[in-house]
Amino acid sequence: MQFDWITFGLQIVNVLVLLAILRHFLFRPVAGIIARRQAETRAAMDAAEKAKSDALKATALAQQEAEKTAAARHDVLTRAQADAEEQRKQLLEAARKEAAAILAAARADAQKTARDAEAETLRRARDLAEAIAERALSALPVPPTVEGYAARLAETIGALPEDRRAALLGGKNLRVISPHPLSGNDRKIIDAALKPFGIAAAEVQIDPALVAGLDLSSSTGTVHNSLTHDLTRISEALKDDHETRP
Amino acid sequence: MSDSPFAVSTVFSIGSIGISQTVVTTWAILAVLGVGSFLATLRLSVKPGPVQEVLELVVTAIDDQIKATISGDPGRFRALIGTLLLFILAANWSSLIPSVEPPTAHLETDAALAVIVFVATIAYGLRAQGVWGYLKSFARPTWVMIPLNLIEQVTRSFSLMVRLFGNVMSGVFVIGIVLSLAGLLVPIPLMALDLLTGAVQAYIFAILALVFIASAVETDAPPKKDPPA
Repeated sequence: MQFDWITFGLQIVNVLVLLAILRHFLFRPVAGIIARRQAETRAAMDAAEKAKSDALKATALAQQEAEKTAAARHDVLTRAQADAEEQRKQLLEAARKEAAAILAAARADAQKTARDAEAETLRRARDLAEAIAERALSALPVPPTVEGYAARLAETIGALPEDRRAALLGGKNLRVISPHPLSGNDRKIIDAALKPFGIAAAEVQIDPALVAGLDLSSSTGTVHNSLTHDLTRISEALKDDHETRP
Repeated sequence: MSDSPFAVSTVFSIGSIGISQTVVTTWAILAVLGVGSFLATLRLSVKPGPVQEVLELVVTAIDDQIKATISGDPGRFRALIGTLLLFILAANWSSLIPSVEPPTAHLETDAALAVIVFVATIAYGLRAQGVWGYLKSFARPTWVMIPLNLIEQVTRSFSLMVRLFGNVMSGVFVIGIVLSLAGLLVPIPLMALDLLTGAVQAYIFAILALVFIASAVETDAPPKKDPPA
């Protein structure tokens, strides 16, 4: 058996040298970089933890702000609703007052219009009455007595065409119609007026509707000669004037 | 492989000191590991590349193994245990290079490694427990064990040496014998097996060295009880 002590010694030195080399160039740098990465990882973890904590705080703060905002929004909405309700009431009250004012004004206008219309109607009625009266008066016989009406009756009969007058006078139940009973003098005047037409002592019929005047009537016709007939004729004439007026 | 596993072939001499093939091979391994480490750690970054990831994996694995055996900072033992592991692994695997004999197949290298472990065990024990504390550790569990513990200190280092030497040397010899008897490709499975054996032996040597140091560093004395009031 051979044991080389020189080789043995050199190998010890070699291994120790290798130990120094690997310690310096391998283990120390690699362990250092691992430690550095672990430190950086820890720092990153700490930073992440801090960021997480900050984020949680910020979230809580944001939550508080959101709650405050929600409360403020609720207050604003409540105030707005109250204001809107108040404004609605005010507007409603103003509208009610305005409507009442408009209604009062309309009523006043209507009353004024009614008064004006009434006045106009009265004025027209007065004018109409004046016109009717004027025309009626102008149509009255002169004098407006039995004598006058008897004369106008005779004049009217005389103005009739011959055939119509003969038909009238030849009809049955020939009579004089008076609004009131006739006196003896009145009968004389009437008989004298009708005598030229061959009528003597004609029967007298009382009809208050004539108001004034004398009519001669038979079964074949009637000669109107009364105030009622005059007024009716004037009214129809005025009506025709009114309808033909543009 | 030379005819005798104990034969030492001198390559050249420096003065009266003959430099053997084993030393030259060790120098080559030393150069490869040293230059490789220097180049690999030139551009270390917090964001590692593939090479740096492998280096960090190796260092982390060594640290984890140390922490699993010895409590405290693994940095105290990282260089020694890591150097033993990497050197023995590189030396064992150097047999893959044709005409290169692994330094660990020679008894001088294994003895040098065992002596380093022996001295380191004592040094770490003295530093951790002090002289008296370290000496007292030989009397545990009882003073009767002192001779056996003293013998154990030598024999376990001796067993480290012999185990490594026997396994590596036998592997080299087997491959050499098979290669001389069979063809060129026949020893390849044995060489693959030799790779596994080399890795396992490197691991065993480093772990046993760690266990020996741990036994010297960590006292297994029972904790002192508080005196009764």
